[in-house]
Amino acid sequence: MLSYPTVRVSLLFLAIAVAGLFVADIAITTANPWRDLGQFFIGVATPNFFSTEGLLTALLRTVAFGFVGVALGSFFGFLLALVYRLLPVRIFCAFIRAIHELFWALIFLQFFGFHPLTGVLAIAIPYAGIFAKVYSEILEESDPEPSRLLPPGTSAIASFLYARIPDCWVQIRTYTAYRLECGLRSSAILGFVGLPTLGFYLESSFSQGMYSDAGAMLILFYVLIATMPIWVRPKLLPAYLLAAPFFLGEGFPIVWGNVERFFTEDIVPSPLRNGEGLAGLSSWLGDVMITEALPGIWNTIVLTQVALVATGLLSLLAFPLISKHFGGPVRRTSGHVFLVIARSTPEYILAYILLQLWGPSMLPAVVALALHNGGIIGHLIGRQTNAIELRPDAPTGFTRYSWELVPRVYRSFLAFLFYRWEIIMRETAILGILGIYTLGFYVDSAIQNIQFDRAMILILITASLNIGVDVLGRFIRRKLALQTMPTC
Amino acid sequence: MITKQIRKWLVSGFLTLAVATTASAQTFVFTAIPDEDETKLVERFRGIADYLSEQLEVDVRYIPVKSYAAAISAFRNNQVQLAWFGGLSGVQARALVPGSEALAQGVEDQAFYNYFIAHKSTGLERADELPEGVRGKTFTFGSKGSTSGRLIPEYHIRDRFNEAPETVFSRVGFSGNHTRTLRLVESGTYDVGALNYKVWEKELEDGNINTDDVKIIWKTPGFPNYQWTIRGDVDERFGEGFKDRVRQALLDLDDPALLESFPREGFIPASNDDYEPIRSVASELGIID
Amino acid sequence: MSGFAFNDLSASFGDKRVVGPLSLEVQQGQHVALVGKSGAGKSTLIKLLYERLTHQASLVPQGLGLVNALPVFHNVFMGQLDQHPLWYNTLTLIRPFRKDRDIIGTLLNGLSISEKQWVPAASLSGGQRQRVAIARALYRSAPMLLADEPISALDEPMAHLVMKALTDQFSTSVIALHDVDMALAYCTRIVGIQDGRIALDQPASELQAADIMALY
Repeated sequence: MLSYPTVRVSLLFLAIAVAGLFVADIAITTANPWRDLGQFFIGVATPNFFSTEGLLTALLRTVAFGFVGVALGSFFGFLLALVYRLLPVRIFCAFIRAIHELFWALIFLQFFGFHPLTGVLAIAIPYAGIFAKVYSEILEESDPEPSRLLPPGTSAIASFLYARIPDCWVQIRTYTAYRLECGLRSSAILGFVGLPTLGFYLESSFSQGMYSDAGAMLILFYVLIATMPIWVRPKLLPAYLLAAPFFLGEGFPIVWGNVERFFTEDIVPSPLRNGEGLAGLSSWLGDVMITEALPGIWNTIVLTQVALVATGLLSLLAFPLISKHFGGPVRRTSGHVFLVIARSTPEYILAYILLQLWGPSMLPAVVALALHNGGIIGHLIGRQTNAIELRPDAPTGFTRYSWELVPRVYRSFLAFLFYRWEIIMRETAILGILGIYTLGFYVDSAIQNIQFDRAMILILITASLNIGVDVLGRFIRRKLALQTMPTC
Repeated sequence: MITKQIRKWLVSGFLTLAVATTASAQTFVFTAIPDEDETKLVERFRGIADYLSEQLEVDVRYIPVKSYAAAISAFRNNQVQLAWFGGLSGVQARALVPGSEALAQGVEDQAFYNYFIAHKSTGLERADELPEGVRGKTFTFGSKGSTSGRLIPEYHIRDRFNEAPETVFSRVGFSGNHTRTLRLVESGTYDVGALNYKVWEKELEDGNINTDDVKIIWKTPGFPNYQWTIRGDVDERFGEGFKDRVRQALLDLDDPALLESFPREGFIPASNDDYEPIRSVASELGIID
Repeated sequence: MSGFAFNDLSASFGDKRVVGPLSLEVQQGQHVALVGKSGAGKSTLIKLLYERLTHQASLVPQGLGLVNALPVFHNVFMGQLDQHPLWYNTLTLIRPFRKDRDIIGTLLNGLSISEKQWVPAASLSGGQRQRVAIARALYRSAPMLLADEPISALDEPMAHLVMKALTDQFSTSVIALHDVDMALAYCTRIVGIQDGRIALDQPASELQAADIMALY
């Protein structure tokens, strides 16, 4: 077994995660975690849909921000995809997508304030970076032969319209629709920093222990996501896109002086602002590094590695739930429901809920990340096993699982896992806002202390860390010759 | 067909922008730091909005925010013109907006104080100074930007133990607000916490505290706290003498139900200088530059 | 002019030479059949020629190069994208002009697939796809034709129809064919390829099928 590189890499990551467990802060700190959890489930079981007058509006805003953000992101992402082969463009896109939507929202809040543009851009910018990358990959894979056959003198645009786009259209459409779902999740969590989407009310209800209200919001959100195939129709899309900007809410007018101030004063490191020169800057930077960046980086990495392996283990445990090779239709349907809930709950919301119930430590974060990401990978792998035909006399039960199925899906399982490595790290960093000591904690603290220069440095560090993990993840996938399509 | 769609799209975009601009051009907007349960805040400040609107004869709107920093930013960005700040957030906001001033404070805000509270399992009892026994326990502040939830407790912890809170306690958290601190210590999630005495007393009066589970272990010395702060440029926008009218309206506020919702006995004049002690403590702790 | 003469045709795959070096001269009015075993280098030779003759030649490659998501009409229309301004091409993508619909309709009719005009190429059979690629080459109406096994998936009557149409419309052509009888029937000159070199080059009228079989 050890001669397989995939097995060796898996064991290496497992060992790192186990070592991480020893240094990580894993604990349930509430006195009655199970009672709280029980109350939460009772809340979900007895939803109160009429608690907040703003609930429907919030739902509408969630959809509106999601649509406008994803539409703008996909438009600009497409333009960027056309020039994606240029190195500066690739670096630019890697950079904008390495910064999480919530961080973008926190940045824009400082100068656009509660203007709809804050929420729209917070989604559109990172999504444009992701769209650019994926669209360019899709375009690259299109058949080059038709364009070679065009008569010389055909304009580049006509050639693109006839010979490239139609070939990738279905893939582009499928991926964009998929991102729209992600966009609704992103839109919902923007409420946690004060935008008028679902997260706003969810946070309020939760922090006040009004679980029935929170349960109603979660149920509405699941219904919204689960019914997307019904209400998102290609023919209705133009109507939605035209209507969406009207439902973003009013917000407050933009004061452009604030924008200028943010870029020319707020984010300039304070020693430079105060004329302390380079000496002041280096001691300031040293202070940021030692007291905030390094502990933040350390905790982010530890939590990421533990959560990555937990995600992997959970995916391997979960995929039989929806695989046709195990259990009957009843078990598979309930498996589907479980995985749909796990993957359509944003990890931020899952982590928030678990933190409220279990108290602050890395444990709720690990469980939230593993549930959400494991739900996604488990679903993809489970679906893959349904395409496998076993011989009639194949063994059953655990032997079937371990001898027949896992070996066949292990490579694509690893591919998905390493693809999500960077995503898990981005989320890990952001969970700091909830009070776990990852980079997001220090970013949030800096913002709470109105020290945007520090916040900016820490966000840049977070982005570099994500880019680093992305590169490493791709390197490992290439080394092991693993291929995958993007997930979000 | 395509150009028509683009035109429609652009028009719709401009419309939303236009709507957004006109809606609040002449509305006097205020906010408040989210130091307690949001439902309570919304209820309380909607009442204030109605009262001010009547007194000032302009549209007055309250917007709830999710963090202390968001309240400060909205004030700084002139998206709100008036805010109910804590001691620290007021100092931060006024430093960022030249010309802004503290208008009025609650009677009780001249000498505000904090309670350190502990869960029954710690066995800690009320004392004249912060008990040595808190060492090694878990501890929660309120919000990171809070005066009574963060600044003052941290000052006293450092003063008492000569160490950072992270080394005194085995775990340090930020609950988010005072109500939440109370709930977390009451349920035993944290052993010890520090909160605004007003929140404690109001919850106690309303019968929302199980005093078997949680008790006060120390009361801090007094410090200046909450105040109404207004931007310096409101007169230009809402007419000469507007600032004074706002101050007068606040000082005149005598609706018992509204005052009870804060809860304050009434409002008295305040000045920026009243908050110098807060500024110097914050600067000592490195929270402000 | 639509003949050509190349002296230094050669191509390698890795270190392995697949074609040439060889010289080939084709005069206007000649219809040349390239014959030989599969793997002899016929396709590579066609590709080499197309690289040099892009401006004068229509190509029917073995892979056909259809855009599967587009209907037959647009696949054929692509043969004349260079003839129209961008707005015209873009509009055609959404709603074709009557004039083009008629011309392409007639062309497809001649190949007996006019009923498939608005069907995406993806849902066609192999023989239908091959005729779409041929229609595209005809529509481009370059002076010369380069084709790589253009009738491999067609039944015999259809194959005759297509070979006739191709040799009628193009004054000059180079067609790789594995069907020796077809080559003799429609081409004026037979060039046999063996291991990437010319092993036979004679007028069709002087050859019998048996002479060619020696190459296989």
